[in-house]
Amino acid sequence: MRKGRPFLEIFTYALDEDYRFPILEIFAFLFALGTFVFVDLGAYSGQTGEALAYSLVTTLCGFPLLFIFVVLILKNVAYGLGSDLDRGVIQTLFSYPLKRRYILTARLLSGLGIALLLFFGIQIFGLFLLAPDVILTYPSTVFLTYAAQLCSPVLLLAGLVLFFTLRLKRGGLALVIGVILFLAGLIVSGFVTSIAYGTGSDLSLKIWAVINPNSALQIYYYDMGASLFASESWVPSFSEVLLYLGAGYLIVAALFVIGYVYFDRRLEI
Amino acid sequence: MIQVDDLAKSYGRVVAVDGLSLRVEEGSIMGLIGPNGAGKTTTIKIILGLLKPNRGFVRVFDEEPWDNPDIKPKIGVIYERAFFPSRHKVLDYLERVCRIFGKPESRAREVLALTRLEDAYDRTIKALSAGMLQKFAVAHALIKEPRLIIADEPTSNLDPEARRELLDLILQLHRDENVTFLLSSHVLPELSRVCESVAIINQGKVWAAGGLTELSEKLGARTTRISTDNPEALGELIGKLEYVSRVEVDSKGVSVGVLAGQDDRLFEDAPRLAKEAEAKIVGIETGTASLEELFRLAVKSTQGEGHR
Repeated sequence: MRKGRPFLEIFTYALDEDYRFPILEIFAFLFALGTFVFVDLGAYSGQTGEALAYSLVTTLCGFPLLFIFVVLILKNVAYGLGSDLDRGVIQTLFSYPLKRRYILTARLLSGLGIALLLFFGIQIFGLFLLAPDVILTYPSTVFLTYAAQLCSPVLLLAGLVLFFTLRLKRGGLALVIGVILFLAGLIVSGFVTSIAYGTGSDLSLKIWAVINPNSALQIYYYDMGASLFASESWVPSFSEVLLYLGAGYLIVAALFVIGYVYFDRRLEI
Repeated sequence: MIQVDDLAKSYGRVVAVDGLSLRVEEGSIMGLIGPNGAGKTTTIKIILGLLKPNRGFVRVFDEEPWDNPDIKPKIGVIYERAFFPSRHKVLDYLERVCRIFGKPESRAREVLALTRLEDAYDRTIKALSAGMLQKFAVAHALIKEPRLIIADEPTSNLDPEARRELLDLILQLHRDENVTFLLSSHVLPELSRVCESVAIINQGKVWAAGGLTELSEKLGARTTRISTDNPEALGELIGKLEYVSRVEVDSKGVSVGVLAGQDDRLFEDAPRLAKEAEAKIVGIETGTASLEELFRLAVKSTQGEGHR
């Protein structure tokens, strides 16, 4: 028996489940529609340089586009894996000659990895079509912005939902929790900014930046002219932004490690 | 092949398995019987590495079963309720399983023919009836040509004919390929037909284990049947004998469970007691207790009756 074969078969099984007709088609359509129809490039005519690159990427992968993508990922992680747990299919998967962690990897590679590839494919393609000079001139800004946008809410939520799915063994409920957390994140973000401006203290902004490093990046680029309303209370340096991004990814990594350890050592069917 | 010692498993405060020990030898067919909630399914799940015991020692093919891919190709599993991705087509899915286990894809058609599912190749799994789904589960378990098959209520959804076919298949695989079976079932006559030995599980423990005759002897479950014209009175007197474990009275006679090695004493005492009860004995015969009787004995032991 070739060693990689069971993994590939489980991976293709997961692909069949996650992207069955017409789920993928609907998401791709909504995403492409959002990318090319909702983006208003004229809004950034006054901006230049890295700030423009940041604004373009943020708009391209902002709400509602990011929401569509988040729902796709949460559906795959929560509903895909959750229904395997719920319906008992995981028992059948556990009867195959593969370590538990590889089964989870195959599931996540399909639900999360392929979704990320789709996301980047459409995003980069869209960016090339709309503003090719931006992506060529400021590739590091583009990369950093995508990294920050994905860290939170996408990967952070995926990690949380993975854990909830494994604990609850009910994908539907985990999916609902994920969507609620996503919307709660949007509300909290507004609150944090209000508190910071209201109290003059930047502590809430810094705490929020650990969970959502994009907020630090946003303040950094807004201060460079990406917004008329530059931050008055706290502007992180570039190295601080990188630190917050690193901290954010550490939290994400910790969530996934917890999920893996739980799946590997504790999950009982 | 399977070795379980002093196994314990609780779900919160509920004790499912408590100090259970079991051996399944290579080439044997062992049945697990016991009332609902006795701990059969929990035991099977621990053996399959789906649950972790709180205490105890489990080895399957001399290896720890939890998350152990090395033993998976050797074990076929049939669950009471089959769990498969429902949208896939029968043949497509089994061909995928063939690839997973490094078997030629033609094996999928072989096992489908063996389980009489040739007509279901192009059906989706969700379109199968409960009985067909159970057959599909059997086909799925056979793909890898396992050395051990563990089945939890494998005939639960099958009609009588399909049950007979499955039992025949079990006997055939055991005879021709020396496949070992661990079967859990509530349908005791079926287990009697195929099992060489049984383990009676009750309250999370193996209450008794062994061959049917051996168990009957050990548990005093040999049944002596006394046909008489006054079963009520005779049964009452026989029930007072110290070597009698149980008495069942019906309209035509008395069935008496006698402790091991005490059959002769009942033969001696019965005429005397019949005279006392003014009953006429028409006939006496002794036989091995059925699996049902052993099962009943185990259930009674839960209620504090006849436990030894």
